[in-house]
Amino acid sequence: MAGALLGTRIRENRKALQLSQKDLAQAAGLSASYLNLIEHNKRGIAGKTLNAIARALQIDPTDLTEGMNQALLDRVRTAAMRNNQLRTERDRIEEFAARFPGFARLIARQSDQIEVRDEQFAILSDQLKHDPYFAEAMHLLLSNITTIRATSDILATNSDMPPAMSQKFIANLAAEAAKLSKTAEDIFDHFEPTAEEHVSSLDMSAFEVLLEQNRYYLETLENGDQSVDDILNNLKLSDDDIDATRASLHSYAEMAQHLPIEPFIATAKKVNFDAIALAETFSTDLMAICFRLAHLPTKPDLPTFGLIQSDASGAVLYRKQLNSFSLPRYGGACPLWPVYRSLSQPLQPIRAMLDMPMGDRFHTISFAYPTQAARIGMPAVTEAIMLFTPDYAMLPRVAHDQTPQLDVGLQCTVCSRMDCSARREAYLLTNK
Amino acid sequence: MQKRISIIEDEPFIIEALSFLLEREGFAVSSISDGADALAFITTTPPDLLILDIMLPNVSGMKILEDIRKTSGIEKLPVLMLTAKGQKKDRLAAEQAGVSLFMTKPFSNTELIANVHEMLQG
Repeated sequence: MAGALLGTRIRENRKALQLSQKDLAQAAGLSASYLNLIEHNKRGIAGKTLNAIARALQIDPTDLTEGMNQALLDRVRTAAMRNNQLRTERDRIEEFAARFPGFARLIARQSDQIEVRDEQFAILSDQLKHDPYFAEAMHLLLSNITTIRATSDILATNSDMPPAMSQKFIANLAAEAAKLSKTAEDIFDHFEPTAEEHVSSLDMSAFEVLLEQNRYYLETLENGDQSVDDILNNLKLSDDDIDATRASLHSYAEMAQHLPIEPFIATAKKVNFDAIALAETFSTDLMAICFRLAHLPTKPDLPTFGLIQSDASGAVLYRKQLNSFSLPRYGGACPLWPVYRSLSQPLQPIRAMLDMPMGDRFHTISFAYPTQAARIGMPAVTEAIMLFTPDYAMLPRVAHDQTPQLDVGLQCTVCSRMDCSARREAYLLTNK
Repeated sequence: MQKRISIIEDEPFIIEALSFLLEREGFAVSSISDGADALAFITTTPPDLLILDIMLPNVSGMKILEDIRKTSGIEKLPVLMLTAKGQKKDRLAAEQAGVSLFMTKPFSNTELIANVHEMLQG
Protein backbone atom coordinates (compact mmCIF):
# COMPACT_ATOMS: atom_id res chain seq x y z
CA MET A 1 0.00 0.00 0.00
CA ALA A 2 2.76 2.39 0.97
CA GLY A 3 4.52 1.80 -2.37
CA ALA A 4 1.30 2.35 -4.26
CA LEU A 5 0.83 5.67 -2.56
CA LEU A 6 4.36 6.74 -3.29
CA GLY A 7 3.97 6.03 -7.00
CA THR A 8 0.68 7.88 -7.12
CA ARG A 9 2.25 10.85 -5.39
CA ILE A 10 5.13 10.99 -7.89
CA ARG A 11 2.67 10.92 -10.76
CA GLU A 12 0.55 13.73 -9.23
CA ASN A 13 3.59 15.91 -8.64
CA ARG A 14 4.86 15.34 -12.16
CA LYS A 15 1.51 16.31 -13.63
CA ALA A 16 1.39 19.40 -11.46
CA LEU A 17 4.69 20.49 -13.06
CA GLN A 18 3.31 19.59 -16.52
CA LEU A 19 6.21 17.24 -17.15
CA SER A 20 5.97 14.13 -19.29
CA GLN A 21 7.22 10.78 -17.96
CA LYS A 22 10.07 11.06 -20.40
CA ASP A 23 11.06 14.54 -19.10
CA LEU A 24 11.04 13.42 -15.48
CA ALA A 25 12.84 10.16 -16.18
CA GLN A 26 15.55 12.05 -17.98
CA ALA A 27 15.90 14.63 -15.19
CA ALA A 28 16.13 11.88 -12.58
CA GLY A 29 18.51 9.72 -14.59
CA LEU A 30 16.05 6.85 -15.06
CA SER A 31 14.55 5.10 -17.99
CA ALA A 32 11.02 6.15 -18.92
CA SER A 33 9.79 2.56 -18.71
CA TYR A 34 11.20 2.16 -15.18
CA LEU A 35 9.51 5.44 -14.10
CA ASN A 36 6.28 4.16 -15.63
CA LEU A 37 6.48 1.04 -13.42
CA ILE A 38 7.19 3.20 -10.36
CA GLU A 39 4.29 5.56 -11.05
CA HIS A 40 1.95 2.61 -11.51
CA ASN A 41 3.04 1.24 -8.17
CA LYS A 42 4.75 -1.80 -9.59
CA ARG A 43 8.18 -0.98 -8.23
CA GLY A 44 9.10 0.25 -4.79
CA ILE A 45 11.86 2.84 -4.47
CA ALA A 46 13.97 4.41 -1.74
CA GLY A 47 17.38 6.01 -1.22
CA LYS A 48 19.16 7.41 -4.27
CA THR A 49 16.28 6.85 -6.69
CA LEU A 50 13.78 8.51 -4.40
CA ASN A 51 16.12 11.48 -3.85
CA ALA A 52 16.75 11.83 -7.59
CA ILE A 53 13.03 11.88 -8.39
CA ALA A 54 12.32 14.35 -5.57
CA ARG A 55 15.12 16.61 -6.79
CA ALA A 56 13.72 16.50 -10.31
CA LEU A 57 10.28 17.36 -8.96
CA GLN A 58 11.81 20.23 -6.91
CA ILE A 59 10.36 18.93 -3.67
CA ASP A 60 11.64 17.46 -0.43
CA PRO A 61 11.83 13.63 -0.46
CA THR A 62 9.74 13.62 2.74
CA ASP A 63 6.89 15.23 0.79
CA LEU A 64 6.77 11.97 -1.16
CA THR A 65 7.12 9.67 1.83
CA GLU A 66 5.46 11.46 4.76
CA GLY A 67 1.99 11.07 3.41
CA MET A 68 2.35 7.42 4.33
CA ASN A 69 3.18 8.20 7.94
CA GLN A 70 0.49 6.40 9.92
CA ALA A 71 0.58 8.92 12.75
CA LEU A 72 -0.10 11.73 10.28
CA LEU A 73 -2.95 9.77 8.72
CA ASP A 74 -4.44 9.19 12.17
CA ARG A 75 -4.28 12.89 13.02
CA VAL A 76 -5.95 13.90 9.76
CA ARG A 77 -8.60 11.22 10.33
CA THR A 78 -9.21 12.56 13.84
CA ALA A 79 -9.58 16.08 12.45
CA ALA A 80 -12.13 14.79 9.95
CA MET A 81 -14.07 12.97 12.66
CA ARG A 82 -14.18 16.10 14.84
CA ASN A 83 -15.92 17.83 11.93
CA ASN A 84 -18.17 15.00 10.94
CA GLN A 85 -20.94 17.32 9.79
CA LEU A 86 -18.76 18.50 6.90
CA ARG A 87 -18.95 15.04 5.32
CA THR A 88 -15.22 14.86 4.66
CA GLU A 89 -14.16 12.04 2.35
CA ARG A 90 -12.75 9.88 5.13
CA ASP A 91 -12.36 6.89 2.83
CA ARG A 92 -9.90 8.92 0.73
CA ILE A 93 -7.67 10.29 3.50
CA GLU A 94 -4.69 8.19 2.46
CA GLU A 95 -5.01 9.36 -1.11
CA PHE A 96 -5.35 12.98 0.05
CA ALA A 97 -2.30 12.78 2.29
CA ALA A 98 -0.35 11.14 -0.51
CA ARG A 99 -1.19 13.84 -3.00
CA PHE A 100 -0.97 16.84 -0.64
CA PRO A 101 1.37 15.98 2.24
CA GLY A 102 1.91 19.65 3.14
CA PHE A 103 -1.81 20.31 3.45
CA ALA A 104 -2.22 17.09 5.44
CA ARG A 105 0.42 18.30 7.91
CA LEU A 106 -1.32 21.69 8.08
CA ILE A 107 -4.71 20.11 8.85
CA ALA A 108 -3.17 17.82 11.47
CA ARG A 109 -1.29 20.64 13.18
CA GLN A 110 -4.25 23.02 13.21
CA SER A 111 -6.58 20.33 14.48
CA ASP A 112 -4.16 19.57 17.34
CA GLN A 113 -3.89 23.29 18.16
CA ILE A 114 -7.66 23.69 18.17
CA GLU A 115 -8.04 20.76 20.55
CA VAL A 116 -5.48 22.20 22.98
CA ARG A 117 -7.05 25.66 22.81
CA ASP A 118 -10.53 24.24 23.33
CA GLU A 119 -9.32 22.59 26.52
CA GLN A 120 -7.61 25.78 27.70
CA PHE A 121 -10.71 27.80 26.88
CA ALA A 122 -12.93 25.40 28.85
CA ILE A 123 -10.63 25.61 31.86
CA LEU A 124 -10.37 29.41 31.75
CA SER A 125 -14.08 29.80 31.19
CA ASP A 126 -14.78 27.61 34.18
CA GLN A 127 -12.33 29.54 36.32
CA LEU A 128 -13.99 32.81 35.32
CA LYS A 129 -17.32 31.44 36.50
CA HIS A 130 -15.73 30.66 39.85
CA ASP A 131 -13.85 33.96 40.16
CA PRO A 132 -15.19 35.74 43.26
CA TYR A 133 -13.63 39.01 42.14
CA PHE A 134 -15.55 38.87 38.89
CA ALA A 135 -18.85 38.14 40.69
CA GLU A 136 -18.34 41.03 43.10
CA ALA A 137 -17.29 43.39 40.30
CA MET A 138 -20.35 42.50 38.24
CA HIS A 139 -22.55 43.23 41.24
CA LEU A 140 -20.95 46.64 41.66
CA LEU A 141 -21.36 47.41 37.97
CA LEU A 142 -25.05 46.55 38.17
CA SER A 143 -25.46 48.78 41.23
CA ASN A 144 -23.75 51.68 39.43
CA ILE A 145 -25.88 51.19 36.34
CA THR A 146 -29.06 50.90 38.42
CA THR A 147 -28.44 54.26 40.07
CA ILE A 148 -27.57 55.94 36.78
CA ARG A 149 -30.60 54.53 35.02
CA ALA A 150 -33.09 55.40 37.79
CA THR A 151 -31.62 58.89 38.33
CA SER A 152 -31.36 59.84 34.67
CA ASP A 153 -34.92 58.64 34.10
CA ILE A 154 -36.12 60.84 36.97
CA LEU A 155 -34.32 63.86 35.48
CA ALA A 156 -35.69 63.15 32.00
CA THR A 157 -39.31 62.75 33.07
CA ASN A 158 -39.61 65.41 35.80
CA SER A 159 -38.84 68.75 34.14
CA ASP A 160 -40.92 70.59 36.76
CA MET A 161 -38.65 69.40 39.59
CA PRO A 162 -37.41 72.15 41.97
CA PRO A 163 -33.94 73.32 40.87
CA ALA A 164 -32.28 72.30 44.14
CA MET A 165 -33.58 68.77 43.81
CA SER A 166 -32.63 68.63 40.17
CA GLN A 167 -29.08 69.76 41.04
CA LYS A 168 -28.90 67.06 43.72
CA PHE A 169 -29.81 64.32 41.24
CA ILE A 170 -27.37 65.68 38.67
CA ALA A 171 -24.63 65.55 41.33
CA ASN A 172 -25.64 61.96 42.19
CA LEU A 173 -25.46 61.08 38.52
CA ALA A 174 -21.96 62.55 38.19
CA ALA A 175 -20.73 60.77 41.33
CA GLU A 176 -22.16 57.44 40.22
CA ALA A 177 -20.66 57.84 36.73
CA ALA A 178 -17.28 58.40 38.38
CA LYS A 179 -17.79 55.23 40.47
CA LEU A 180 -18.72 53.29 37.33
CA SER A 181 -15.56 54.48 35.67
CA LYS A 182 -13.48 53.42 38.70
CA THR A 183 -15.11 49.99 38.78
CA ALA A 184 -14.38 49.52 35.08
CA GLU A 185 -10.73 50.52 35.61
CA ASP A 186 -10.42 48.09 38.56
CA ILE A 187 -11.81 45.27 36.44
CA PHE A 188 -9.46 46.12 33.59
CA ASP A 189 -6.47 46.12 35.98
CA HIS A 190 -7.55 42.80 37.47
CA PHE A 191 -7.78 41.06 34.13
CA GLU A 192 -4.68 42.59 32.60
CA PRO A 193 -2.68 39.47 31.82
CA THR A 194 0.72 38.91 33.35
CA ALA A 195 2.97 35.95 32.86
CA GLU A 196 2.41 34.79 36.43
CA GLU A 197 -1.35 34.95 36.14
CA HIS A 198 -1.22 33.05 32.90
CA VAL A 199 0.65 30.20 34.57
CA SER A 200 -1.59 30.05 37.61
CA SER A 201 -4.80 30.19 35.58
CA LEU A 202 -3.92 26.91 33.97
CA ASP A 203 -2.42 25.41 37.07
CA MET A 204 -4.94 22.68 37.71
CA SER A 205 -3.95 19.10 38.20
CA ALA A 206 -5.02 16.61 35.56
CA PHE A 207 -7.28 14.94 38.14
CA GLU A 208 -8.99 18.26 38.94
CA VAL A 209 -9.57 18.90 35.26
CA LEU A 210 -11.03 15.40 34.87
CA LEU A 211 -13.35 15.91 37.85
CA GLU A 212 -14.51 19.33 36.67
CA GLN A 213 -15.20 18.01 33.19
CA ASN A 214 -17.29 15.21 34.74
CA ARG A 215 -19.03 17.44 37.31
CA TYR A 216 -17.22 15.62 40.12
CA TYR A 217 -18.85 12.27 39.43
CA LEU A 218 -16.86 9.63 37.53
CA GLU A 219 -19.75 7.47 36.44
CA THR A 220 -17.80 4.94 34.40
CA LEU A 221 -15.41 4.33 37.29
CA GLU A 222 -18.32 4.07 39.74
CA ASN A 223 -20.23 1.50 37.70
CA GLY A 224 -17.17 -0.51 36.65
CA ASP A 225 -17.38 0.31 32.95
CA GLN A 226 -13.83 1.65 33.15
CA SER A 227 -10.89 0.84 35.37
CA VAL A 228 -8.38 3.35 36.70
CA ASP A 229 -5.99 2.30 33.93
CA ASP A 230 -8.68 2.68 31.25
CA ILE A 231 -9.26 6.26 32.34
CA LEU A 232 -5.54 6.96 32.57
CA ASN A 233 -4.99 5.65 29.05
CA ASN A 234 -7.64 8.01 27.67
CA LEU A 235 -6.15 11.04 29.37
CA LYS A 236 -2.88 11.24 27.37
CA LEU A 237 -0.97 12.53 30.40
CA SER A 238 2.65 13.54 30.63
CA ASP A 239 4.91 11.32 32.70
CA ASP A 240 4.89 13.98 35.44
CA ASP A 241 1.12 13.76 35.82
CA ILE A 242 0.54 10.02 35.56
CA ASP A 243 1.54 8.91 39.07
CA ALA A 244 -0.37 11.65 40.91
CA THR A 245 -3.47 11.12 38.77
CA ARG A 246 -3.33 7.35 39.26
CA ALA A 247 -3.17 7.78 43.03
CA SER A 248 -6.12 10.21 43.00
CA LEU A 249 -8.17 7.88 40.80
CA HIS A 250 -7.47 4.96 43.13
CA SER A 251 -8.66 7.05 46.09
CA TYR A 252 -11.83 7.85 44.19
CA ALA A 253 -12.34 4.18 43.31
CA GLU A 254 -11.89 3.19 46.96
CA MET A 255 -14.54 5.71 47.99
CA ALA A 256 -16.93 4.36 45.36
CA GLN A 257 -16.29 0.80 46.53
CA HIS A 258 -16.63 1.66 50.23
CA LEU A 259 -19.88 3.62 49.75
CA PRO A 260 -21.52 2.40 46.50
CA ILE A 261 -23.58 5.17 44.99
CA GLU A 262 -27.06 3.67 44.67
CA PRO A 263 -27.50 2.36 48.25
CA PHE A 264 -25.79 5.50 49.52
CA ILE A 265 -28.27 7.82 47.76
CA ALA A 266 -31.22 5.70 48.92
CA THR A 267 -30.06 5.97 52.53
CA ALA A 268 -29.09 9.64 52.19
CA LYS A 269 -32.60 10.50 51.04
CA LYS A 270 -34.05 8.85 54.15
CA VAL A 271 -31.98 11.07 56.44
CA ASN A 272 -32.25 14.19 54.27
CA PHE A 273 -28.55 14.11 53.36
CA ASP A 274 -27.46 14.80 56.91
CA ALA A 275 -23.77 13.85 57.00
CA ILE A 276 -23.69 13.05 60.71
CA ALA A 277 -26.74 10.76 60.49
CA LEU A 278 -25.17 9.05 57.47
CA ALA A 279 -21.91 8.42 59.35
CA GLU A 280 -23.90 6.71 62.09
CA THR A 281 -26.01 4.70 59.65
CA PHE A 282 -23.03 3.43 57.67
CA SER A 283 -20.84 3.08 60.78
CA THR A 284 -18.07 4.94 59.06
CA ASP A 285 -16.12 8.10 59.69
CA LEU A 286 -17.53 11.50 58.89
CA MET A 287 -14.71 12.32 56.48
CA ALA A 288 -15.64 9.42 54.19
CA ILE A 289 -19.28 10.52 54.21
CA CYS A 290 -18.33 14.13 53.41
CA PHE A 291 -16.21 13.03 50.46
CA ARG A 292 -19.03 10.80 49.19
CA LEU A 293 -21.58 13.64 49.48
CA ALA A 294 -19.25 15.92 47.51
CA HIS A 295 -19.16 13.38 44.66
CA LEU A 296 -22.79 12.66 43.83
CA PRO A 297 -24.28 12.70 40.34
CA THR A 298 -25.88 16.01 39.32
CA LYS A 299 -29.64 15.51 39.57
CA PRO A 300 -32.50 17.81 40.57
CA ASP A 301 -33.45 15.66 43.56
CA LEU A 302 -29.91 15.65 44.98
CA PRO A 303 -28.35 18.60 46.81
CA THR A 304 -25.06 20.00 45.53
CA PHE A 305 -22.17 19.87 47.97
CA GLY A 306 -18.76 21.55 47.83
CA LEU A 307 -15.80 20.55 49.94
CA ILE A 308 -12.48 21.91 51.10
CA GLN A 309 -9.76 19.88 52.80
CA SER A 310 -7.04 21.83 54.54
CA ASP A 311 -4.06 21.16 56.73
CA ALA A 312 -3.30 23.13 59.88
CA SER A 313 -1.30 25.73 57.94
CA GLY A 314 -4.32 26.54 55.82
CA ALA A 315 -2.88 24.90 52.71
CA VAL A 316 -5.63 23.47 50.54
CA LEU A 317 -5.21 19.72 50.05
CA TYR A 318 -8.37 19.12 48.06
CA ARG A 319 -11.23 21.27 46.94
CA LYS A 320 -14.50 21.06 45.14
CA GLN A 321 -15.80 24.55 44.63
CA LEU A 322 -19.25 25.67 43.59
CA ASN A 323 -20.12 28.57 41.31
CA SER A 324 -21.32 30.60 44.29
CA PHE A 325 -18.56 29.47 46.67
CA SER A 326 -15.09 29.60 45.23
CA LEU A 327 -12.11 28.26 47.10
CA PRO A 328 -8.63 29.72 46.75
CA ARG A 329 -5.98 27.12 46.08
CA TYR A 330 -3.12 28.74 47.94
CA GLY A 331 -4.63 29.94 51.21
CA GLY A 332 -6.02 33.45 51.40
CA ALA A 333 -9.53 32.27 52.28
CA CYS A 334 -11.70 33.89 54.92
CA PRO A 335 -10.19 33.00 58.33
CA LEU A 336 -13.67 32.99 59.86
CA TRP A 337 -14.65 29.80 58.05
CA PRO A 338 -15.45 27.11 60.61
CA VAL A 339 -13.06 24.68 58.91
CA TYR A 340 -10.19 26.58 60.54
CA ARG A 341 -11.91 26.70 63.94
CA SER A 342 -12.41 22.93 63.80
CA LEU A 343 -8.62 22.47 63.79
CA SER A 344 -8.57 23.60 67.42
CA GLN A 345 -11.15 20.98 68.44
CA PRO A 346 -10.42 17.77 66.52
CA LEU A 347 -13.09 15.09 66.21
CA GLN A 348 -15.88 17.49 67.15
CA PRO A 349 -18.04 18.28 64.10
CA ILE A 350 -19.15 21.92 63.85
CA ARG A 351 -22.34 22.91 62.09
CA ALA A 352 -22.68 26.50 60.88
CA MET A 353 -24.77 28.51 58.44
CA LEU A 354 -22.50 30.85 56.50
CA ASP A 355 -23.93 34.19 55.36
CA MET A 356 -21.88 35.64 52.51
CA PRO A 357 -21.67 39.38 51.77
CA MET A 358 -23.50 38.88 48.49
CA GLY A 359 -26.43 37.21 50.22
CA ASP A 360 -25.62 33.57 49.46
CA ARG A 361 -26.12 31.16 52.37
CA PHE A 362 -24.50 27.77 52.93
CA HIS A 363 -25.02 25.04 55.46
CA THR A 364 -21.64 23.65 56.53
CA ILE A 365 -20.21 20.82 58.56
CA SER A 366 -16.56 21.11 59.53
CA PHE A 367 -14.50 18.39 61.09
CA ALA A 368 -10.82 18.00 62.01
CA TYR A 369 -9.03 14.70 62.45
CA PRO A 370 -5.48 13.53 63.26
CA THR A 371 -3.71 11.98 60.31
CA GLN A 372 -1.59 9.58 62.36
CA ALA A 373 -1.55 7.87 65.74
CA ALA A 374 -0.28 9.92 68.69
CA ARG A 375 3.47 9.71 69.26
CA ILE A 376 5.30 10.98 72.31
CA GLY A 377 7.36 14.06 71.60
CA MET A 378 5.90 14.57 68.13
CA PRO A 379 3.37 17.26 67.31
CA ALA A 380 -0.01 15.97 66.18
CA VAL A 381 -0.64 16.43 62.45
CA THR A 382 -4.22 17.43 61.93
CA GLU A 383 -6.28 18.04 58.82
CA ALA A 384 -9.77 19.40 58.47
CA ILE A 385 -12.60 19.33 55.97
CA MET A 386 -15.62 21.52 55.46
CA LEU A 387 -18.62 20.25 53.53
CA PHE A 388 -20.95 22.98 52.33
CA THR A 389 -24.18 23.26 50.38
CA PRO A 390 -26.43 26.07 49.17
CA ASP A 391 -29.29 23.53 49.06
CA TYR A 392 -29.82 23.63 52.82
CA ALA A 393 -33.59 23.50 52.29
CA MET A 394 -33.15 19.81 51.36
CA LEU A 395 -31.42 19.03 54.67
CA PRO A 396 -33.34 18.31 57.88
CA ARG A 397 -34.82 21.55 59.19
CA VAL A 398 -32.93 21.19 62.46
CA ALA A 399 -29.72 21.28 60.46
CA HIS A 400 -30.21 24.89 59.43
CA ASP A 401 -32.93 26.36 61.66
CA GLN A 402 -30.98 25.79 64.85
CA THR A 403 -27.51 26.18 63.42
CA PRO A 404 -25.34 29.14 64.44
CA GLN A 405 -25.12 31.84 61.78
CA LEU A 406 -21.74 33.19 60.77
CA ASP A 407 -21.14 36.33 58.70
CA VAL A 408 -18.15 35.40 56.58
CA GLY A 409 -16.71 36.09 53.13
CA LEU A 410 -14.70 34.32 50.45
CA GLN A 411 -11.45 36.32 50.52
CA CYS A 412 -10.66 39.76 51.95
CA THR A 413 -9.97 41.21 48.50
CA VAL A 414 -13.55 40.60 47.38
CA CYS A 415 -15.33 40.97 50.74
CA SER A 416 -17.33 44.13 51.33
CA ARG A 417 -17.52 43.68 55.13
CA MET A 418 -15.30 46.70 55.63
CA ASP A 419 -15.20 46.64 59.44
CA CYS A 420 -14.45 42.92 59.77
CA SER A 421 -11.96 42.34 62.59
CA ALA A 422 -10.38 39.46 60.65
CA ARG A 423 -9.54 41.60 57.61
CA ARG A 424 -5.88 41.28 56.56
CA GLU A 425 -6.02 42.62 52.99
CA ALA A 426 -7.76 45.61 51.45
CA TYR A 427 -10.97 45.29 49.50
CA LEU A 428 -9.93 45.59 45.85
CA LEU A 429 -13.11 47.17 44.56
CA THR A 430 -12.55 50.51 46.22
CA ASN A 431 -15.65 52.00 44.63
CA LYS A 432 -17.96 50.58 47.33
CA MET B 1 -54.77 57.12 54.48
CA GLN B 2 -51.20 57.50 53.22
CA LYS B 3 -49.52 54.15 52.65
CA ARG B 4 -46.06 53.59 54.14
CA ILE B 5 -43.18 52.00 52.25
CA SER B 6 -39.85 51.09 53.84
CA ILE B 7 -36.64 50.60 51.90
CA ILE B 8 -33.66 48.55 53.10
CA GLU B 9 -30.84 49.26 50.65
CA ASP B 10 -27.17 50.07 51.13
CA GLU B 11 -26.67 52.33 48.09
CA PRO B 12 -27.58 55.89 49.17
CA PHE B 13 -28.23 57.17 45.65
CA ILE B 14 -30.62 54.30 44.94
CA ILE B 15 -32.45 55.16 48.18
CA GLU B 16 -32.70 58.79 47.04
CA ALA B 17 -34.04 57.81 43.63
CA LEU B 18 -36.54 55.32 45.08
CA SER B 19 -37.68 57.81 47.73
CA PHE B 20 -38.30 60.49 45.11
CA LEU B 21 -40.25 58.11 42.88
CA LEU B 22 -42.40 56.75 45.71
CA GLU B 23 -43.05 60.10 47.41
CA ARG B 24 -44.11 61.52 44.04
CA GLU B 25 -46.75 58.77 44.01
CA GLY B 26 -47.99 59.88 47.43
CA PHE B 27 -46.37 57.25 49.65
CA ALA B 28 -44.64 57.92 52.98
CA VAL B 29 -41.12 56.53 52.62
CA SER B 30 -38.56 55.53 55.26
CA SER B 31 -35.23 53.80 54.78
CA ILE B 32 -32.19 52.21 56.42
CA SER B 33 -29.02 50.80 54.93
CA ASP B 34 -27.76 48.29 57.52
CA GLY B 35 -29.20 44.78 57.63
CA ALA B 36 -28.51 44.48 61.35
CA ASP B 37 -31.13 47.14 62.14
CA ALA B 38 -33.73 45.75 59.77
CA LEU B 39 -36.02 43.74 62.02
CA ALA B 40 -36.23 46.42 64.73
CA PHE B 41 -36.85 49.02 62.00
CA ILE B 42 -39.75 47.05 60.54
CA THR B 43 -41.37 45.88 63.77
CA THR B 44 -41.33 49.34 65.41
CA THR B 45 -43.53 50.85 62.71
CA PRO B 46 -44.59 48.13 60.31
CA PRO B 47 -44.87 49.52 56.76
CA ASP B 48 -47.49 48.51 54.19
CA LEU B 49 -44.74 47.30 51.86
CA LEU B 50 -41.03 46.65 52.13
CA ILE B 51 -38.47 47.09 49.34
CA LEU B 52 -35.50 44.91 50.25
CA ASP B 53 -32.02 44.45 48.76
CA ILE B 54 -30.19 41.11 49.20
CA MET B 55 -26.62 42.33 49.61
CA LEU B 56 -26.61 44.38 52.79
CA PRO B 57 -24.01 45.08 55.45
CA ASN B 58 -24.03 42.66 58.38
CA VAL B 59 -27.24 40.70 57.71
CA SER B 60 -28.30 39.63 54.23
CA GLY B 61 -31.68 40.50 52.78
CA MET B 62 -32.44 36.80 52.43
CA LYS B 63 -32.00 36.28 56.17
CA ILE B 64 -34.12 39.38 56.91
CA LEU B 65 -36.89 37.98 54.71
CA GLU B 66 -36.77 34.63 56.51
CA ASP B 67 -36.97 36.41 59.87
CA ILE B 68 -39.91 38.53 58.73
CA ARG B 69 -41.85 35.40 57.75
CA LYS B 70 -41.20 33.92 61.21
CA THR B 71 -42.07 37.06 63.20
CA SER B 72 -45.59 37.42 64.50
CA GLY B 73 -47.31 40.61 63.35
CA ILE B 74 -45.20 41.16 60.22
CA GLU B 75 -45.18 37.65 58.79
CA LYS B 76 -47.54 38.66 55.95
CA LEU B 77 -45.78 41.92 55.06
CA PRO B 78 -45.56 42.32 51.25
CA VAL B 79 -41.85 42.24 50.36
CA LEU B 80 -40.50 43.39 47.01
CA MET B 81 -36.96 42.15 46.65
CA LEU B 82 -34.90 44.45 44.43
CA THR B 83 -31.49 43.00 43.74
CA ALA B 84 -28.55 42.79 41.38
CA LYS B 85 -28.42 39.07 42.17
CA GLY B 86 -30.78 38.00 39.44
CA GLN B 87 -29.67 34.44 38.81
CA LYS B 88 -32.24 31.67 38.78
CA LYS B 89 -30.92 30.24 42.04
CA ASP B 90 -31.29 33.64 43.76
CA ARG B 91 -34.86 33.93 42.58
CA LEU B 92 -35.62 30.38 43.78
CA ALA B 93 -34.02 31.06 47.16
CA ALA B 94 -36.09 34.24 47.52
CA GLU B 95 -39.24 32.36 46.61
CA GLN B 96 -38.43 29.67 49.16
CA ALA B 97 -37.90 32.35 51.78
CA GLY B 98 -41.34 33.82 50.99
CA VAL B 99 -40.74 36.84 48.74
CA SER B 100 -43.87 38.53 47.33
CA LEU B 101 -42.18 39.90 44.20
CA PHE B 102 -38.63 39.57 42.88
CA MET B 103 -37.22 42.33 40.65
CA THR B 104 -33.70 42.61 39.33
CA LYS B 105 -31.47 45.66 39.03
CA PRO B 106 -31.24 47.69 36.88
CA PHE B 107 -35.00 48.28 36.97
CA SER B 108 -37.39 50.46 35.03
CA ASN B 109 -38.88 53.22 37.22
CA THR B 110 -42.26 52.83 35.52
CA GLU B 111 -42.32 49.07 36.08
CA LEU B 112 -41.27 49.42 39.69
CA ILE B 113 -44.02 51.95 40.48
CA ALA B 114 -46.62 49.83 38.66
CA ASN B 115 -45.59 46.79 40.71
CA VAL B 116 -45.75 48.72 43.98
CA HIS B 117 -49.29 49.92 43.22
CA GLU B 118 -50.36 46.42 42.27
CA MET B 119 -48.90 44.86 45.43
CA LEU B 120 -50.60 47.42 47.65
CA GLN B 121 -53.93 46.86 45.94
CA GLY B 122 -53.67 43.10 46.44
